[in-house]
Amino acid sequence: MNWIEAHLLTVVLFLPLAGAVLVALLPRGEGGQHKGVAFLFSLLTFAASIPLWVGFRPSARFAFEQKSEWAPGLGFSYHVGLDGVALLLFMLTTFLGPIVVLSSWKLIQERVKIYCIALLFLETAMLGTLAALDLVLFYSFWEAMLIPMYLLIGMWGSERRIYAAVKFFLFTFIGSVLMLLAIFWLWSNSGAAGHRTFDYVELLAQGTLNPATQKWLFAAFALAFAIKVPIWPLHTWLPDAHTEAPAAGSILLAGVMLKMGTFGFIRYAMPLFPQAALAHAPFIALFGVIGIVYGSLMCMAQTDLKRLVAYSSVAHLGFVMLGLSALTAEAASGAVLQMVNHGISTGALFLLIGYLYERTHTRELSAYGGVARIAPALAATFLVVTLSSIGLPGTNGFVGEFLILIGTFTSKELNGAVPLAVVGATGVILGAVYMLWMYQRVFLGKDGKAAAHGIADLSVREWFTVAPLLVAIVWIGFFPQPLLTAIKEPVDAFVQRVSRPPSRQRTEAVPPPSLQPAPAQDAPGAGPRLFMPQRAPLARPTGEPRP
Amino acid sequence: MEVSWLHLIPLLPLLGAALCGLAGKWLPKPWLYAVALVSVLLSFCVGLFAFAHFPEEAPVFHQVAWSWFTAGSLHVDMGFTLDRLSGALVLVITGVGFLIHVYSVAYIDEDEGYWRYFAYLNLFVAAMLTLVLGDNLVALFVGWEGVGLCSYLLIGFWFTDEAKAAAGRKAFVVNRIGDFGFLIGIFILYNQTGSVSIAQLNSAVLPLGVASLAALCLFIGATGKSAQLPLYIWLPDAMAGPTPVSALIHAATMVTAGVYMVARLSHVYVSAPGVMALVAIVGALTALWAALIGTSQNDIKKVLAYSTVSQLGYMFIGVGVGAFFAGTMHLITHAFFKACLFLGSGAVIHGLHGEQDLTRMGGLRKYMPSTRNTFLIATIAITGIVPISGFFSKDEILGQALHTRAFSFLTLTPGSASHLTWLGPLLYVIGSASAFLTSFYMWRCYFLTFSGEYRGPAEVHPHESPALMTIPLWILAGLSVAALVLGLPAAWVHGTALEHWTWEAFTEGLFATPRSGSAEEFSPYLGYGIALVVGWAGWAVSYALYYQRGLAGDELLTARTGRLRHALFHKLYLDEIYGWLIVRPLWKFARGLWSVADRTLIDGLFVNGIPEAVAWWGSLARRFQNGNVQRYAAVTAVGVAALVYAFLLRGG
Repeated sequence: MNWIEAHLLTVVLFLPLAGAVLVALLPRGEGGQHKGVAFLFSLLTFAASIPLWVGFRPSARFAFEQKSEWAPGLGFSYHVGLDGVALLLFMLTTFLGPIVVLSSWKLIQERVKIYCIALLFLETAMLGTLAALDLVLFYSFWEAMLIPMYLLIGMWGSERRIYAAVKFFLFTFIGSVLMLLAIFWLWSNSGAAGHRTFDYVELLAQGTLNPATQKWLFAAFALAFAIKVPIWPLHTWLPDAHTEAPAAGSILLAGVMLKMGTFGFIRYAMPLFPQAALAHAPFIALFGVIGIVYGSLMCMAQTDLKRLVAYSSVAHLGFVMLGLSALTAEAASGAVLQMVNHGISTGALFLLIGYLYERTHTRELSAYGGVARIAPALAATFLVVTLSSIGLPGTNGFVGEFLILIGTFTSKELNGAVPLAVVGATGVILGAVYMLWMYQRVFLGKDGKAAAHGIADLSVREWFTVAPLLVAIVWIGFFPQPLLTAIKEPVDAFVQRVSRPPSRQRTEAVPPPSLQPAPAQDAPGAGPRLFMPQRAPLARPTGEPRP
Repeated sequence: MEVSWLHLIPLLPLLGAALCGLAGKWLPKPWLYAVALVSVLLSFCVGLFAFAHFPEEAPVFHQVAWSWFTAGSLHVDMGFTLDRLSGALVLVITGVGFLIHVYSVAYIDEDEGYWRYFAYLNLFVAAMLTLVLGDNLVALFVGWEGVGLCSYLLIGFWFTDEAKAAAGRKAFVVNRIGDFGFLIGIFILYNQTGSVSIAQLNSAVLPLGVASLAALCLFIGATGKSAQLPLYIWLPDAMAGPTPVSALIHAATMVTAGVYMVARLSHVYVSAPGVMALVAIVGALTALWAALIGTSQNDIKKVLAYSTVSQLGYMFIGVGVGAFFAGTMHLITHAFFKACLFLGSGAVIHGLHGEQDLTRMGGLRKYMPSTRNTFLIATIAITGIVPISGFFSKDEILGQALHTRAFSFLTLTPGSASHLTWLGPLLYVIGSASAFLTSFYMWRCYFLTFSGEYRGPAEVHPHESPALMTIPLWILAGLSVAALVLGLPAAWVHGTALEHWTWEAFTEGLFATPRSGSAEEFSPYLGYGIALVVGWAGWAVSYALYYQRGLAGDELLTARTGRLRHALFHKLYLDEIYGWLIVRPLWKFARGLWSVADRTLIDGLFVNGIPEAVAWWGSLARRFQNGNVQRYAAVTAVGVAALVYAFLLRGG
């Protein structure tokens, strides 16, 4: 294996940072060249990440792994690698990178240099969060995301940007501090002095902690991630951050950063503390469902375009959390797919709303109307994205939502799976209610108000940013299987680990599953679970005996 | 038989839609029309090809176009099945669809959105074909929601009109309520059988409870898509769309999807006799309800819309009593005559420059003979006063309802000794009453439009439509007559060439029909006699009122029935009731929840409240740090004294 192959992931990871350094070295003034360099580097990053996707072979191990000891005595190393789940989000990030830079070409005219630095720095931070396999490394990237996003909101935001930026920072920072303590706790318990480790793979292989400890550590991790997702009722920073952030900030925030929360659940919080995760899965699912319904209702009450879409994120990520806590391969696959889908469709929504805002300088729904007549291409693309957001079959949104709901409905691990899935499915109705309502208010009807603003249709540059997203929406809608194949192994491992947590005492005899008495609830007619499947026992992986 | 060309049927119109939608603005008009029309026509030809090449032993073609998605134990293919039922519907959809495309060329030519229109129309045909051909519930659901999307786009085609845009949105949202039920139905069936394939579901043994819940949930989907009580309210509003769209989507094809779905899943429904009864009851009530409203509408398209709702009710009676063949037969005949009626109304509206009000029509037989003659034939077909297609298919449903055994094992309460044997006859009575009303309001519509003298404004000069519009009308009128072959009683055609073309023989073995009425019990002549009497009675009342009195007939009727007619004119206030009970409270609740829960409680009390509390404590603390050294000293002294005291206590 040659050098470039062995270090490909690292190269992709730090390409945007290199771009940021280059921008920093350029003289101030001329905004165009800063944007040019930023665009070039984000495009390069995307191009360089394509071999990752092409060369990825689904397996249970991490691909493109690279590990260099950094502080061996402390158990801290530079360890990166991707599993299928991280790979998808990684590709999503590099895919959105150039789109984001290109989208802000016209809008950002002040302090362009630092803007470009912030964007590129943010991209490396996000990529690093996904690729890190060492908890300290992960935490560093995780916190590094905050700074550029804080700047993006605080410097280029609209009226209440300072309030929103501070709120965003405090919310996420408070959650992370507890996670840091939990990370140190994990490290101190990972072995004798001198042999402790922050390495995720090693920690995972150590089996699980005793349930009481798990509960506290899980809570610390989960709080940090739950704020980021955000899970109801920790969501109120999101509408403010989105509303005030510039379009690019919103796209990255919705497109990638929120997924860091759900990614944290599937990568860290739940597999590291499986018993605690299993015990709390019904609560997470419940909060997910509340998020779906509550977020949708919030959307119906909004008069501000961006705030509406921000609340729709709460609803969509409620779906993802429901899918993760259902602990079936169907639902978890759907949840991961939905992370990608949400990144694409909500990213596209914020992109297009950004273009609308650029033209009219208002986010008020009542100021719009009849835009479809003046800007038909903008209206048509917005419609496709809207349909993706409400999960119409043929768009990416459907496959994700469908898998989540069907997987939740049939879950045996999750208490109350059927009512949770049914209530969650009402999100399908409410989604149509608020999204089409918004679409009508903005694009349909008489064109009196919008005409006053003189809206121009999509420019060529704007088409270049929108078209890839549209293609992705339809492509994934019809051919989602490559994505699902990529995530199969990690998703199966996740479901397996959380629904049947491995014991830490490996000497303890675990009877093979076939010898265990069948769970009582499988008996026909037992309890409220009306629809127990009468499937062949092989239909669900029942767990191989532990090595 | 596995084949590799089945995907062409939906793909061709899909390509047409893509071409029209993406490049239509720049294509020359004739090219665009050619693309739109030929794609549907080719699809029709593939359907014909399939019919010509059915294998003898098992007349089924199957193709898995691609494996759509797999996760866990769920496997979903994009697969298509063409058997006699779906094949016949493919021909109806593409055939009637093609005629409506032809008609549309003349109808929409002058509108600047013509290319958009044909893109949507082609997309609709593709989605409808996917619905019909889908070999599993998820693929079917793709079409199911796809047609809903096209319906939304086409109802709101003239989107600058706020009311039309709102009507499209209403249609989509109401359909989504149904789709929610449909999804849950899929989940239940998958949970039970581990499969979403229709073939496997139809051969699975389902426990009564599971089958009932699944069938019920799927039927909720059907009430949305097929406009039955309580979700029919979107269909009358859907008339905001261009009239050919009403003919294709809101009469001939999309709205019948629910009936098709029940027939397709006949084994599941037969496993749930209670739900079958519900289906039939909902169908009968809808048939009566909509027919009643239809008698009092003055908008020609609204009359036809309520008529469609009512006729769909008949189809559900048919499938509900276990006579799946009768329900689907009416589906097909209805597609012909209702498309003809809608296109006829379109020609009338076109010839009157947009006038839709029956009170400003009249006497049009002189000005538009082709429209009038075809409308007359289709009216005869739907009212059944002469035995052509509609007569046979409707009477088959009513006859089957009268003699059904589907409910002979059902009881109202568990363990009760009295079985619901009276339900079949009751359905027959309701259905016959609706047939009377159907005849009444359709003839009212006909008389007010074509008889008497022209009542419209003098500056509007009614004129006949171009041949592009009248030729499809004549073909559809011809089909409305010819489709009577489908419904001929077996005894009449025994031994003739027509024997294999009656719908019952044609669909032999496709449906699960263990509990429907048996043929030997059925005396066609008595049933036919009653049906004719009922149909002519409706005609006679209508004739006396509207042919002889014109608009005065309405006044006479209003004078006699007063309040009832007023309520019917206002569509029995169902829209208003939903508005008061559901729609407005929901929006109010959302706004209230936002201001109370999100802003006041979460954000106000906790998010901003805690920092404010901290700031308050901070301001309190600041008083102690006022730079007064004496006070510092005093506080320190007190503190030290307290510490010393504490140590002394412990030490002592």
